[in-house]
Amino acid sequence: MMSLNARLLLAASIVLAAFLSLTGFALDRAFKDSGIVAVKDRLQTEIYSLLAAADSDDISTLIMPNTHPDARFSTPASGIYAEIISDDNRLIWRSGSMLGIDIPFEKVSVKGDSHFAEVISADGTQLYTMTLGVIWEVAPFIVRGYSFHVAESKEHFEKERKRFRKSLAMWLGAAVIALLLVQAIILRWGLAPLRKVAAEVTEIEAGNKEEISEEYPREIALLATNLNVLIRSSSSHLKRYRNALGDLAHSLKTPLAVLHNLVDNENLSLEAKQTVSEQIERLDKTVEYQLQKAVASGRMALAAPICIEEVAHKLLKTFRKVYIEKGIDFKLSIEPDIKFIGDEGDLLELLGNLMDNACKWCVSNIILTVKGFEGGKLSIIVEDDGEGIAVADREAILKRGVRADSQVEGHGIGMAVVRNLVEEVYQGKLSIENSELGGAKIIVFFNK
Amino acid sequence: MRLLLIEDEIPLAVQISTSLREAGFAVDVANNGEDGLYLGNEYPIDVAVVDIGLPDISGIEVIKKWREEERDFPVLILTARGRWEEKVEGLESGADDYLVKPFHTEELIARLRALIRRSAGFSDPKIPMGRFVLDTAGQKMLFDNVEIDVTAFEYKVLEYLILHADKVVSKSELSEHLYEDDFDRDSNVLEVIIGRLRKKLDPDKSLNPIETLRGRGYRFRSIE
Repeated sequence: MMSLNARLLLAASIVLAAFLSLTGFALDRAFKDSGIVAVKDRLQTEIYSLLAAADSDDISTLIMPNTHPDARFSTPASGIYAEIISDDNRLIWRSGSMLGIDIPFEKVSVKGDSHFAEVISADGTQLYTMTLGVIWEVAPFIVRGYSFHVAESKEHFEKERKRFRKSLAMWLGAAVIALLLVQAIILRWGLAPLRKVAAEVTEIEAGNKEEISEEYPREIALLATNLNVLIRSSSSHLKRYRNALGDLAHSLKTPLAVLHNLVDNENLSLEAKQTVSEQIERLDKTVEYQLQKAVASGRMALAAPICIEEVAHKLLKTFRKVYIEKGIDFKLSIEPDIKFIGDEGDLLELLGNLMDNACKWCVSNIILTVKGFEGGKLSIIVEDDGEGIAVADREAILKRGVRADSQVEGHGIGMAVVRNLVEEVYQGKLSIENSELGGAKIIVFFNK
Repeated sequence: MRLLLIEDEIPLAVQISTSLREAGFAVDVANNGEDGLYLGNEYPIDVAVVDIGLPDISGIEVIKKWREEERDFPVLILTARGRWEEKVEGLESGADDYLVKPFHTEELIARLRALIRRSAGFSDPKIPMGRFVLDTAGQKMLFDNVEIDVTAFEYKVLEYLILHADKVVSKSELSEHLYEDDFDRDSNVLEVIIGRLRKKLDPDKSLNPIETLRGRGYRFRSIE
């Protein structure tokens, strides 16, 4: 999912781009409009200069002087053109600059009106034109109508506009970069507390910190406080829960132990002793299994991942002590820094039961292999060189309370606890195969 | 062998101590951690059985304090909680073995004997001493593979001397480890027992396995 920083930066960039595009468009329009007004004024001025220069001759016809104050009218293709047409469509005068150029000037019907237009000449040149219709008193009491046409090439205007656009784009681009930079700095500063929370959560998950610090802006101070409450309450709740179950176990198991010893010592018939012992054992296994099941916590929020190697070595020390007389050769093949995402107690329970069974059944060799796979997948394999488990017994061993060989105490409960932890609590898979060592090979696979 | 039992459940403590006495242990009982800690620190204990779930100080704390005081006798923990977390914690604190409640007394006794034997440096239940063999599992003494008829108390004396073979064991040490604290000890009894054992082990006085070191005590020689 896109990060908050990227989201805000993207949204700000879109808004900024839209705003600056609109600004650029508006400025371009304003430039164009003011440019056209300037062109109009200029053309108007040219018409007035033509009017000022015009005169009438002896035969009551409008005439223009040979030379015009604006030299551009005399230079061919100078970009400024003019002509005067009489009402009877006679060409009265045409500027020298219009030599070979045919401009389709528009006519005005009302005298005294001026008309501005954009036209294209026969050779494809784009032009702005202005026409002014005038009534000229060429002689006393003789008036004639004329149209004064002036045209200016758009080339100059477009060049100006292009230059303006280039400059505008440059400045707006610079503004975009500067604003995005400022925006990124603001976002970085503004989101820094969130990044700090995330970093602290990572630290907690890595086991380097116990809780989140309290120094946060008020908007997220409550979040930090609540996270701390959650962390404290979940671990203390689990601790209280486990202590309560431990006390319950003590309260239930001690009377069972008294009964157990009583049966051993009292003068009961062999049959009665056997029945009572069986019932006590059944009761004990049920209590044990249910307590073990209840105490499994599974993955907890904000819990640090557990180093499997450390837990395995802890157990190894225990087994070396307890099974010292068997002289077991333990081989550990654990990838360095491989972690178990879950509760340490659950991992101890899982490895403890698997290795304890292996210790009971092996001749002298046990191998523990832990491998990590992509995506946090994990496999734990415990194998021994004992007699192995017959295929027909494998399914039964994984069920609660069933023992493959009643001579070995606790086998059924241990494997059933492992099955519950693997399949129900951590949604993993448990299988039994034959080991190359000759005994059983128990494979646990966790998907995450 | 002198054994300390710390168990807060009185009926269970009575049952276990009775069974252990019948098995030949001299048993001191404490019903709380504080008393157990004191007894373990002050008395010549050979092995201890400690319940983890004690009301005052936890069994684990008691073991840790003993180990801090360099009291290195073997300890077996009794736990109602079958979780590995607790077993590992118990063994890391300095215990040597564990037993989950409920348990068979025979198993407890077998484990305790194994612990005592291991702490004396013997890995096999049958401890050879030249032509003699002490069978700790069967609680028998053999000479050239023939069982020597010894009484329960004579076996206790022999077991202590053989587990401390080649070391001088004073009469007071022997009596401290074979009798409970409130027992009326008579040193003449030990002298009589030693005399009887000599006759049974070495009737023709050719091997002399139990030496008397005047003013110092007795020594079982690990004759080859």
